[in-house]
Amino acid sequence: MLATEELSVTYGNILALGGVSLRIEEREIVSVIGPNGAGKSSLLNAIAGVVPVASGSIEFEGQTIAGTAPEELVRLGISLVPEGRHIFGGLTVAENIRIGAVARRDRNAIDGDVERVLAMFPVLRERLRQPAGKLSGGEQQMLAIGRALLARPRLLLIDEPSLGLAPLVVSEVYRAIADLRAEGVTILIVEQSATRALEAADRTYVLASGSIVMAGDAAELRAEEGFEDAYFGYKARDP
Amino acid sequence: MTFVLQNIVDAISLGALYALTALGIGLIFGIMRLINFAHGELIMLGAYALFFTFGMHEAIMGLVAMALVIVAAIVMERVAFRPLRRANPATLLIASFALAYFLQHLVLLIFGARPKSVTFLYELSEYFVVEGLRIPKLQVVTIAITIVLLVGLVVFFRRSSIGTQMRAAAEDFGMARLVGVRANSVIAIAFLLSGVLAGIISLLYVVQTGTLTPRMGVSLVLVAFVATVIGGMGSLVGAAVGGLVVGVLTVALQAVLTVELRPYRDAFVFAVLIGFLLVRPQGLLRGRSARERI
Repeated sequence: MLATEELSVTYGNILALGGVSLRIEEREIVSVIGPNGAGKSSLLNAIAGVVPVASGSIEFEGQTIAGTAPEELVRLGISLVPEGRHIFGGLTVAENIRIGAVARRDRNAIDGDVERVLAMFPVLRERLRQPAGKLSGGEQQMLAIGRALLARPRLLLIDEPSLGLAPLVVSEVYRAIADLRAEGVTILIVEQSATRALEAADRTYVLASGSIVMAGDAAELRAEEGFEDAYFGYKARDP
Repeated sequence: MTFVLQNIVDAISLGALYALTALGIGLIFGIMRLINFAHGELIMLGAYALFFTFGMHEAIMGLVAMALVIVAAIVMERVAFRPLRRANPATLLIASFALAYFLQHLVLLIFGARPKSVTFLYELSEYFVVEGLRIPKLQVVTIAITIVLLVGLVVFFRRSSIGTQMRAAAEDFGMARLVGVRANSVIAIAFLLSGVLAGIISLLYVVQTGTLTPRMGVSLVLVAFVATVIGGMGSLVGAAVGGLVVGVLTVALQAVLTVELRPYRDAFVFAVLIGFLLVRPQGLLRGRSARERI
Protein backbone atom coordinates (compact mmCIF):
# COMPACT_ATOMS: atom_id res chain seq x y z
CA MET A 1 0.00 0.00 0.00
CA LEU A 2 2.75 2.42 1.01
CA ALA A 3 6.43 2.11 0.13
CA THR A 4 9.27 4.52 0.72
CA GLU A 5 12.54 4.10 -1.13
CA GLU A 6 15.74 5.65 0.25
CA LEU A 7 13.67 8.49 1.71
CA SER A 8 15.71 11.40 3.07
CA VAL A 9 14.64 14.56 4.87
CA THR A 10 16.91 17.48 5.69
CA TYR A 11 16.42 20.70 7.64
CA GLY A 12 19.08 23.08 6.34
CA ASN A 13 22.31 21.15 6.77
CA ILE A 14 20.89 18.74 9.30
CA LEU A 15 20.02 15.28 8.07
CA ALA A 16 16.87 14.15 9.89
CA LEU A 17 16.16 11.04 7.84
CA GLY A 18 18.88 9.37 5.80
CA GLY A 19 17.63 6.89 3.23
CA VAL A 20 14.74 5.04 4.83
CA SER A 21 13.04 2.25 2.89
CA LEU A 22 9.95 0.68 4.38
CA ARG A 23 6.72 -0.83 3.15
CA ILE A 24 3.28 -1.25 4.63
CA GLU A 25 0.75 -3.72 3.27
CA GLU A 26 -2.98 -3.16 3.26
CA ARG A 27 -4.69 -3.71 6.64
CA GLU A 28 -1.40 -3.90 8.49
CA ILE A 29 -0.52 -2.04 11.66
CA VAL A 30 3.13 -1.05 11.50
CA SER A 31 5.00 0.82 14.20
CA VAL A 32 8.23 2.76 14.09
CA ILE A 33 10.07 3.12 17.37
CA GLY A 34 13.27 4.82 18.31
CA PRO A 35 14.74 7.38 20.66
CA ASN A 36 14.07 11.08 20.64
CA GLY A 37 15.55 12.68 17.53
CA ALA A 38 15.73 9.44 15.56
CA GLY A 39 13.69 10.94 12.71
CA LYS A 40 10.34 9.32 13.49
CA SER A 41 8.26 12.46 13.16
CA SER A 42 10.21 13.52 10.06
CA LEU A 43 9.25 10.20 8.47
CA LEU A 44 5.53 10.70 9.12
CA ASN A 45 5.66 14.38 8.17
CA ALA A 46 7.37 13.54 4.88
CA ILE A 47 4.73 10.92 4.05
CA ALA A 48 1.93 13.36 4.94
CA GLY A 49 3.45 16.12 2.81
CA VAL A 50 4.22 18.44 5.72
CA VAL A 51 7.98 18.54 5.17
CA PRO A 52 9.64 18.37 1.75
CA VAL A 53 11.44 15.21 0.67
CA ALA A 54 15.15 15.83 0.07
CA SER A 55 15.67 12.65 -1.94
CA GLY A 56 14.14 9.22 -2.43
CA SER A 57 10.55 8.36 -3.25
CA ILE A 58 7.20 7.65 -1.63
CA GLU A 59 4.61 5.49 -3.37
CA PHE A 60 1.03 5.15 -2.20
CA GLU A 61 -1.09 2.56 -4.00
CA GLY A 62 1.31 2.61 -6.91
CA GLN A 63 1.28 6.40 -7.26
CA THR A 64 4.28 8.64 -6.54
CA ILE A 65 3.20 11.12 -3.87
CA ALA A 66 6.39 12.92 -2.78
CA GLY A 67 5.85 16.66 -3.18
CA THR A 68 2.05 16.47 -2.99
CA ALA A 69 0.39 19.04 -0.69
CA PRO A 70 -1.10 17.69 2.56
CA GLU A 71 -4.63 18.80 1.64
CA GLU A 72 -4.42 16.73 -1.55
CA LEU A 73 -2.96 13.68 0.24
CA VAL A 74 -6.04 13.65 2.49
CA ARG A 75 -8.11 13.34 -0.67
CA LEU A 76 -5.98 10.36 -1.75
CA GLY A 77 -6.66 8.65 1.60
CA ILE A 78 -3.72 9.54 3.87
CA SER A 79 -4.42 11.24 7.22
CA LEU A 80 -1.93 12.29 9.87
CA VAL A 81 -2.61 12.66 13.59
CA PRO A 82 0.38 14.83 14.45
CA GLU A 83 2.45 14.85 17.59
CA GLY A 84 0.86 17.17 20.14
CA ARG A 85 -2.62 16.49 18.61
CA HIS A 86 -3.06 20.02 17.20
CA ILE A 87 -6.78 20.17 17.84
CA PHE A 88 -8.43 23.52 17.04
CA GLY A 89 -8.85 24.88 20.57
CA GLY A 90 -11.23 27.69 19.65
CA LEU A 91 -13.60 25.44 17.72
CA THR A 92 -16.13 23.28 19.52
CA VAL A 93 -15.58 19.54 19.83
CA ALA A 94 -18.33 18.97 17.26
CA GLU A 95 -16.72 21.41 14.82
CA ASN A 96 -13.35 19.73 15.30
CA ILE A 97 -14.81 16.35 14.42
CA ARG A 98 -16.75 17.61 11.42
CA ILE A 99 -13.90 19.60 9.95
CA GLY A 100 -12.18 16.25 9.44
CA ALA A 101 -14.68 15.63 6.65
CA VAL A 102 -13.99 18.78 4.57
CA ALA A 103 -12.26 16.82 1.86
CA ARG A 104 -15.14 14.38 1.37
CA ARG A 105 -17.78 14.46 -1.33
CA ASP A 106 -20.21 11.90 0.17
CA ARG A 107 -22.03 14.43 2.38
CA ASN A 108 -24.77 11.98 3.40
CA ALA A 109 -22.43 9.50 5.03
CA ILE A 110 -20.78 12.05 7.33
CA ASP A 111 -23.43 12.02 10.09
CA GLY A 112 -23.08 8.26 10.38
CA ASP A 113 -19.30 8.56 10.68
CA VAL A 114 -19.62 11.21 13.39
CA GLU A 115 -21.83 8.76 15.29
CA ARG A 116 -19.22 6.01 14.94
CA VAL A 117 -16.49 8.27 16.30
CA LEU A 118 -18.72 9.23 19.24
CA ALA A 119 -19.48 5.56 19.88
CA MET A 120 -15.74 4.86 19.88
CA PHE A 121 -14.98 7.78 22.23
CA PRO A 122 -18.14 8.31 24.34
CA VAL A 123 -16.49 10.99 26.49
CA LEU A 124 -16.51 13.33 23.48
CA ARG A 125 -20.28 13.10 23.19
CA GLU A 126 -20.79 14.83 26.52
CA ARG A 127 -18.65 17.76 25.39
CA LEU A 128 -19.77 18.35 21.82
CA ARG A 129 -20.66 22.02 22.38
CA GLN A 130 -17.58 22.92 24.42
CA PRO A 131 -14.45 24.55 23.01
CA ALA A 132 -11.98 21.77 22.28
CA GLY A 133 -9.26 23.69 24.10
CA LYS A 134 -10.94 22.81 27.39
CA LEU A 135 -10.49 19.04 26.91
CA SER A 136 -7.89 17.04 28.83
CA GLY A 137 -4.85 15.69 27.01
CA GLY A 138 -6.36 12.25 26.62
CA GLU A 139 -9.64 13.62 25.32
CA GLN A 140 -7.72 15.81 22.87
CA GLN A 141 -5.86 12.76 21.59
CA MET A 142 -9.18 10.94 21.07
CA LEU A 143 -10.57 14.01 19.34
CA ALA A 144 -7.52 14.24 17.08
CA ILE A 145 -7.92 10.58 16.07
CA GLY A 146 -11.66 11.00 15.62
CA ARG A 147 -11.12 14.07 13.44
CA ALA A 148 -8.68 12.14 11.26
CA LEU A 149 -11.14 9.25 10.92
CA LEU A 150 -13.80 11.59 9.53
CA ALA A 151 -11.69 11.80 6.37
CA ARG A 152 -12.18 8.02 6.00
CA PRO A 153 -8.46 7.48 5.53
CA ARG A 154 -7.18 4.25 4.10
CA LEU A 155 -3.80 4.95 5.66
CA LEU A 156 -3.74 6.56 9.10
CA LEU A 157 -0.44 7.96 10.39
CA ILE A 158 -0.31 8.52 14.16
CA ASP A 159 2.59 10.37 15.79
CA GLU A 160 3.29 9.58 19.47
CA PRO A 161 -0.30 8.84 20.55
CA SER A 162 0.80 8.09 24.12
CA LEU A 163 2.88 11.23 24.65
CA GLY A 164 1.99 12.95 27.90
CA LEU A 165 -0.96 10.68 28.70
CA ALA A 166 -1.68 8.67 31.84
CA PRO A 167 -1.24 4.88 31.38
CA LEU A 168 -4.97 4.16 31.62
CA VAL A 169 -5.70 6.72 28.93
CA VAL A 170 -2.95 5.27 26.75
CA SER A 171 -4.64 1.88 27.03
CA GLU A 172 -7.89 3.44 25.89
CA VAL A 173 -6.23 5.08 22.89
CA TYR A 174 -4.57 1.81 21.89
CA ARG A 175 -7.85 -0.07 22.27
CA ALA A 176 -9.33 2.36 19.76
CA ILE A 177 -6.40 1.77 17.42
CA ALA A 178 -7.00 -2.00 17.64
CA ASP A 179 -10.69 -1.42 16.80
CA LEU A 180 -9.68 0.51 13.70
CA ARG A 181 -7.79 -2.45 12.38
CA ALA A 182 -11.03 -4.43 12.51
CA GLU A 183 -12.53 -1.78 10.23
CA GLY A 184 -9.82 -2.26 7.67
CA VAL A 185 -7.77 0.89 8.22
CA THR A 186 -4.06 0.54 7.60
CA ILE A 187 -2.08 2.24 10.36
CA LEU A 188 1.47 3.50 10.82
CA ILE A 189 2.27 4.48 14.42
CA VAL A 190 5.37 6.25 15.61
CA GLU A 191 6.23 5.87 19.29
CA GLN A 192 9.03 6.48 21.69
CA SER A 193 7.60 4.06 24.24
CA ALA A 194 8.46 0.72 22.65
CA THR A 195 6.31 -1.75 24.57
CA ARG A 196 2.92 -0.43 23.49
CA ALA A 197 4.02 0.06 19.94
CA LEU A 198 5.44 -3.46 19.74
CA GLU A 199 2.28 -5.03 21.16
CA ALA A 200 -0.10 -3.12 18.95
CA ALA A 201 1.71 -3.67 15.68
CA ASP A 202 2.07 -6.54 13.24
CA ARG A 203 5.56 -5.38 12.41
CA THR A 204 7.93 -2.80 13.84
CA TYR A 205 10.84 -0.84 12.46
CA VAL A 206 13.50 0.50 14.81
CA LEU A 207 14.81 3.88 13.76
CA ALA A 208 18.00 5.43 15.14
CA SER A 209 19.83 8.54 13.89
CA GLY A 210 17.70 8.69 10.76
CA SER A 211 18.17 5.11 9.62
CA ILE A 212 16.35 1.81 10.09
CA VAL A 213 18.51 -0.43 12.22
CA MET A 214 16.14 -3.36 12.82
CA ALA A 215 12.82 -4.64 11.58
CA GLY A 216 10.50 -7.51 12.40
CA ASP A 217 7.53 -8.51 14.51
CA ALA A 218 7.42 -8.06 18.25
CA ALA A 219 8.66 -11.55 19.05
CA GLU A 220 11.55 -11.36 16.60
CA LEU A 221 12.69 -7.98 17.86
CA ARG A 222 12.55 -9.00 21.49
CA ALA A 223 14.63 -12.06 20.63
CA GLU A 224 17.32 -9.93 19.04
CA GLU A 225 20.41 -9.74 21.15
CA GLY A 226 20.31 -6.67 23.40
CA PHE A 227 17.53 -5.02 21.36
CA GLU A 228 16.39 -2.61 24.01
CA ASP A 229 19.72 -1.75 25.57
CA ALA A 230 21.49 -1.22 22.30
CA TYR A 231 19.13 1.31 20.81
CA PHE A 232 17.55 3.00 23.75
CA GLY A 233 20.23 2.92 26.38
CA TYR A 234 17.58 1.76 28.81
CA LYS A 235 14.94 -0.95 29.15
CA ALA A 236 11.93 0.19 27.17
CA ARG A 237 8.84 0.20 29.30
CA ASP A 238 5.43 1.72 29.57
CA PRO A 239 5.38 5.49 30.01
CA MET B 1 -26.97 67.37 26.17
CA THR B 2 -27.38 67.84 22.43
CA PHE B 3 -23.64 68.42 22.18
CA VAL B 4 -22.92 65.12 23.93
CA LEU B 5 -25.42 63.13 21.86
CA GLN B 6 -24.12 64.70 18.66
CA ASN B 7 -20.60 63.62 19.57
CA ILE B 8 -21.74 60.12 20.47
CA VAL B 9 -23.34 59.68 17.07
CA ASP B 10 -20.20 61.08 15.40
CA ALA B 11 -18.02 58.76 17.45
CA ILE B 12 -20.03 55.65 16.63
CA SER B 13 -20.16 56.33 12.91
CA LEU B 14 -16.44 57.14 12.70
CA GLY B 15 -15.74 54.11 14.85
CA ALA B 16 -17.86 52.00 12.50
CA LEU B 17 -15.80 53.14 9.51
CA TYR B 18 -12.57 52.32 11.34
CA ALA B 19 -14.00 49.01 12.51
CA LEU B 20 -14.78 47.95 8.92
CA THR B 21 -11.27 48.91 7.80
CA ALA B 22 -9.73 47.14 10.78
CA LEU B 23 -11.78 44.02 10.03
CA GLY B 24 -10.41 43.90 6.49
CA ILE B 25 -6.88 44.01 7.87
CA GLY B 26 -7.60 41.64 10.75
CA LEU B 27 -9.15 39.06 8.44
CA ILE B 28 -5.99 38.74 6.35
CA PHE B 29 -3.71 38.87 9.38
CA GLY B 30 -5.67 36.07 11.06
CA ILE B 31 -5.27 33.73 8.12
CA MET B 32 -1.76 34.46 6.91
CA ARG B 33 0.02 36.69 9.45
CA LEU B 34 0.20 39.42 6.86
CA ILE B 35 -0.46 43.01 7.84
CA ASN B 36 -1.69 44.17 4.46
CA PHE B 37 -0.86 47.85 4.23
CA ALA B 38 -2.03 47.80 0.62
CA HIS B 39 -5.57 47.45 1.98
CA GLY B 40 -5.78 51.25 1.93
CA GLU B 41 -4.97 51.26 -1.78
CA LEU B 42 -7.94 48.96 -2.38
CA ILE B 43 -10.09 51.67 -0.82
CA MET B 44 -8.32 54.29 -2.96
CA LEU B 45 -8.88 52.26 -6.15
CA GLY B 46 -12.60 52.05 -5.40
CA ALA B 47 -12.77 55.81 -4.97
CA TYR B 48 -11.04 56.41 -8.31
CA ALA B 49 -13.40 53.93 -9.94
CA LEU B 50 -16.24 56.18 -8.80
CA PHE B 51 -14.41 59.17 -10.27
CA PHE B 52 -13.82 57.31 -13.54
CA THR B 53 -17.43 56.21 -13.92
CA PHE B 54 -18.84 59.57 -12.80
CA GLY B 55 -21.85 60.53 -14.89
CA MET B 56 -23.21 57.01 -15.16
CA HIS B 57 -26.14 55.85 -13.08
CA GLU B 58 -25.10 55.84 -9.41
CA ALA B 59 -26.00 52.16 -9.00
CA ILE B 60 -23.64 51.33 -11.86
CA MET B 61 -20.90 53.53 -10.35
CA GLY B 62 -21.25 51.69 -7.05
CA LEU B 63 -21.28 48.25 -8.63
CA VAL B 64 -18.26 48.97 -10.84
CA ALA B 65 -16.30 50.31 -7.87
CA MET B 66 -17.19 47.30 -5.69
CA ALA B 67 -16.34 44.86 -8.47
CA LEU B 68 -13.01 46.55 -9.19
CA VAL B 69 -11.97 46.51 -5.53
CA ILE B 70 -12.92 42.86 -5.07
CA VAL B 71 -11.08 41.82 -8.24
CA ALA B 72 -8.06 43.92 -7.20
CA ALA B 73 -8.01 42.20 -3.79
CA ILE B 74 -8.08 38.73 -5.36
CA VAL B 75 -5.45 39.63 -7.98
CA MET B 76 -3.29 41.15 -5.22
CA GLU B 77 -3.23 37.84 -3.37
CA ARG B 78 -2.65 35.79 -6.49
CA VAL B 79 0.16 37.91 -7.95
CA ALA B 80 1.93 39.45 -4.97
CA PHE B 81 1.31 37.33 -1.89
CA ARG B 82 0.83 33.75 -3.09
CA PRO B 83 4.43 33.44 -4.34
CA LEU B 84 5.56 34.61 -0.89
CA ARG B 85 3.32 32.31 1.10
CA ARG B 86 6.21 30.48 2.72
CA ALA B 87 8.18 33.66 3.37
CA ASN B 88 8.40 35.08 6.88
CA PRO B 89 5.94 37.76 8.06
CA ALA B 90 8.51 40.57 7.67
CA THR B 91 8.91 39.80 3.97
CA LEU B 92 5.14 39.76 3.52
CA LEU B 93 4.87 43.10 5.32
CA ILE B 94 7.48 44.71 3.07
CA ALA B 95 5.78 43.26 0.00
CA SER B 96 2.53 44.89 1.10
CA PHE B 97 4.32 48.27 1.41
CA ALA B 98 5.80 47.83 -2.07
CA LEU B 99 2.39 46.99 -3.45
CA ALA B 100 0.84 50.01 -1.72
CA TYR B 101 3.42 52.38 -3.27
CA PHE B 102 3.05 50.71 -6.65
CA LEU B 103 -0.71 51.22 -6.68
CA GLN B 104 -0.42 54.81 -5.45
CA HIS B 105 2.00 55.66 -8.24
CA LEU B 106 -0.01 53.80 -10.83
CA VAL B 107 -2.99 55.99 -9.99
CA LEU B 108 -0.71 59.04 -9.88
CA LEU B 109 0.48 58.21 -13.39
CA ILE B 110 -3.04 57.81 -14.75
CA PHE B 111 -4.94 60.54 -12.90
CA GLY B 112 -2.22 62.91 -11.71
CA ALA B 113 -1.38 64.16 -8.24
CA ARG B 114 -4.03 66.87 -7.94
CA PRO B 115 -6.96 65.94 -5.75
CA LYS B 116 -10.09 64.95 -7.64
CA SER B 117 -13.59 65.46 -6.45
CA VAL B 118 -16.63 63.38 -7.15
CA THR B 119 -20.22 63.65 -6.02
CA PHE B 120 -21.76 60.32 -5.15
CA LEU B 121 -25.09 59.66 -3.41
CA TYR B 122 -25.43 63.34 -2.55
CA GLU B 123 -28.74 62.78 -0.80
CA LEU B 124 -26.84 60.98 2.01
CA SER B 125 -25.24 64.30 2.99
CA GLU B 126 -28.64 65.55 4.12
CA TYR B 127 -29.57 65.55 7.78
CA PHE B 128 -32.23 64.01 9.93
CA VAL B 129 -33.19 66.57 12.54
CA VAL B 130 -34.41 64.95 15.76
CA GLU B 131 -35.00 67.08 18.85
CA GLY B 132 -32.40 69.64 17.80
CA LEU B 133 -29.94 66.87 16.93
CA ARG B 134 -28.61 67.01 13.36
CA ILE B 135 -27.71 63.51 12.22
CA PRO B 136 -26.33 63.14 8.70
CA LYS B 137 -28.09 60.33 6.82
CA LEU B 138 -24.64 59.03 5.93
CA GLN B 139 -23.87 58.34 9.59
CA VAL B 140 -27.06 56.36 9.99
CA VAL B 141 -26.28 54.41 6.82
CA THR B 142 -22.69 53.80 7.93
CA ILE B 143 -23.78 52.45 11.30
CA ALA B 144 -26.51 50.29 9.75
CA ILE B 145 -24.16 48.83 7.11
CA THR B 146 -21.55 48.10 9.76
CA ILE B 147 -24.05 46.26 11.93
CA VAL B 148 -25.31 44.21 8.98
CA LEU B 149 -21.75 43.33 7.93
CA LEU B 150 -20.70 42.39 11.47
CA VAL B 151 -23.72 40.15 11.96
CA GLY B 152 -23.19 38.68 8.49
CA LEU B 153 -19.54 37.93 9.23
CA VAL B 154 -20.37 36.29 12.56
CA VAL B 155 -22.99 34.08 10.93
CA PHE B 156 -20.58 33.27 8.10
CA PHE B 157 -17.76 32.26 10.46
CA ARG B 158 -19.99 30.34 12.87
CA ARG B 159 -22.41 28.60 10.55
CA SER B 160 -20.87 28.01 7.15
CA SER B 161 -18.43 25.22 6.39
CA ILE B 162 -15.94 27.55 4.71
CA GLY B 163 -16.22 29.93 7.69
CA THR B 164 -15.33 27.12 10.08
CA GLN B 165 -12.44 26.18 7.81
CA MET B 166 -11.20 29.76 7.95
CA ARG B 167 -11.36 29.82 11.74
CA ALA B 168 -9.42 26.55 11.84
CA ALA B 169 -6.85 27.90 9.37
CA ALA B 170 -6.47 31.09 11.41
CA GLU B 171 -5.72 29.00 14.47
CA ASP B 172 -3.38 26.42 13.01
CA PHE B 173 -2.82 26.65 9.28
CA GLY B 174 -0.62 23.55 9.05
CA MET B 175 -3.17 21.37 10.81
CA ALA B 176 -6.02 22.80 8.77
CA ARG B 177 -4.24 21.66 5.61
CA LEU B 178 -3.71 18.22 7.16
CA VAL B 179 -7.45 17.75 7.57
CA GLY B 180 -7.96 18.78 3.96
CA VAL B 181 -8.62 22.52 4.08
CA ARG B 182 -7.32 23.94 0.81
CA ALA B 183 -4.84 26.72 1.58
CA ASN B 184 -5.49 28.54 -1.70
CA SER B 185 -9.25 28.55 -1.19
CA VAL B 186 -9.35 29.94 2.34
CA ILE B 187 -6.77 32.63 1.55
CA ALA B 188 -8.55 33.63 -1.67
CA ILE B 189 -11.85 33.89 0.20
CA ALA B 190 -10.23 35.94 2.96
CA PHE B 191 -9.00 38.40 0.31
CA LEU B 192 -12.40 38.41 -1.37
CA LEU B 193 -14.03 39.34 1.94
CA SER B 194 -11.42 42.02 2.62
CA GLY B 195 -12.18 43.34 -0.89
CA VAL B 196 -15.89 43.53 -0.10
CA LEU B 197 -15.14 45.47 3.09
CA ALA B 198 -12.68 47.79 1.32
CA GLY B 199 -15.19 48.43 -1.48
CA ILE B 200 -17.93 49.41 0.93
CA ILE B 201 -15.53 51.77 2.74
CA SER B 202 -14.63 53.33 -0.63
CA LEU B 203 -18.25 54.20 -1.22
CA LEU B 204 -18.88 55.53 2.29
CA TYR B 205 -15.64 57.51 2.28
CA VAL B 206 -16.33 59.17 -1.05
CA VAL B 207 -19.85 60.09 0.01
CA GLN B 208 -18.39 61.68 3.11
CA THR B 209 -15.39 63.58 1.76
CA GLY B 210 -15.95 63.73 -1.99
CA THR B 211 -12.20 64.31 -2.38
CA LEU B 212 -9.71 61.76 -3.63
CA THR B 213 -5.93 61.63 -3.78
CA PRO B 214 -3.63 58.72 -4.55
CA ARG B 215 -2.58 58.63 -0.89
CA MET B 216 -6.05 58.79 0.60
CA GLY B 217 -5.95 55.20 1.85
CA VAL B 218 -2.73 55.56 3.84
CA SER B 219 -4.00 57.36 6.92
CA LEU B 220 -7.15 55.27 7.06
CA VAL B 221 -5.15 52.05 7.07
CA LEU B 222 -2.73 53.39 9.64
CA VAL B 223 -5.61 54.20 11.97
CA ALA B 224 -7.20 50.80 11.28
CA PHE B 225 -3.88 49.12 12.02
CA VAL B 226 -3.80 50.94 15.36
CA ALA B 227 -7.32 49.64 15.92
CA THR B 228 -6.34 46.02 15.27
CA VAL B 229 -3.39 46.35 17.65
CA ILE B 230 -5.61 47.83 20.37
CA GLY B 231 -8.24 45.17 19.76
CA GLY B 232 -5.70 42.35 19.74
CA MET B 233 -3.98 41.10 16.60
CA GLY B 234 -5.68 38.03 15.24
CA SER B 235 -9.05 38.55 16.88
CA LEU B 236 -11.80 39.72 14.53
CA VAL B 237 -14.05 40.81 17.36
CA GLY B 238 -11.03 42.63 18.74
CA ALA B 239 -10.51 44.43 15.41
CA ALA B 240 -14.10 45.62 15.38
CA VAL B 241 -13.96 46.72 19.02
CA GLY B 242 -10.59 48.38 18.44
CA GLY B 243 -11.99 50.33 15.49
CA LEU B 244 -14.85 51.56 17.58
CA VAL B 245 -12.51 52.52 20.43
CA VAL B 246 -10.23 54.53 18.11
CA GLY B 247 -13.25 56.27 16.56
CA VAL B 248 -14.63 57.20 19.95
CA LEU B 249 -11.20 58.32 21.13
CA THR B 250 -10.70 60.51 18.05
CA VAL B 251 -14.07 62.24 18.39
CA ALA B 252 -13.64 62.62 22.15
CA LEU B 253 -10.24 64.28 21.67
CA GLN B 254 -11.71 66.51 18.98
CA ALA B 255 -14.35 67.65 21.46
CA VAL B 256 -12.08 67.99 24.47
CA LEU B 257 -8.91 69.47 23.00
CA THR B 258 -8.54 73.22 22.78
CA VAL B 259 -8.63 74.81 19.33
CA GLU B 260 -4.83 75.26 19.29
CA LEU B 261 -4.27 71.57 20.08
CA ARG B 262 -6.83 70.11 17.65
CA PRO B 263 -4.45 69.93 14.66
CA TYR B 264 -2.36 67.54 16.76
CA ARG B 265 -5.30 65.28 17.57
CA ASP B 266 -3.81 62.25 15.82
CA ALA B 267 -0.60 62.65 17.81
CA PHE B 268 -2.71 62.25 20.93
CA VAL B 269 -4.40 59.18 19.45
CA PHE B 270 -1.02 57.58 18.80
CA ALA B 271 0.24 58.60 22.24
CA VAL B 272 -2.70 56.74 23.75
CA LEU B 273 -1.79 53.75 21.58
CA ILE B 274 1.80 53.76 22.83
CA GLY B 275 0.59 54.00 26.41
CA PHE B 276 -1.87 51.21 25.79
CA LEU B 277 0.81 48.96 24.31
CA LEU B 278 2.99 49.47 27.37
CA VAL B 279 0.19 48.34 29.66
CA ARG B 280 -1.43 45.64 27.55
CA PRO B 281 0.73 44.61 24.57
CA GLN B 282 -1.54 41.69 23.66
CA GLY B 283 -4.50 44.02 23.01
CA LEU B 284 -7.98 43.98 24.48
CA LEU B 285 -8.75 40.52 23.15
CA ARG B 286 -5.96 38.16 22.36
CA GLY B 287 -6.60 36.15 19.22
CA ARG B 288 -5.77 32.47 19.07
CA SER B 289 -4.02 33.13 15.81
CA ALA B 290 -1.61 35.60 17.38
CA ARG B 291 0.87 32.77 17.62
CA GLU B 292 3.63 32.00 15.15
CA ARG B 293 2.74 30.93 11.66
CA ILE B 294 3.56 27.35 10.69
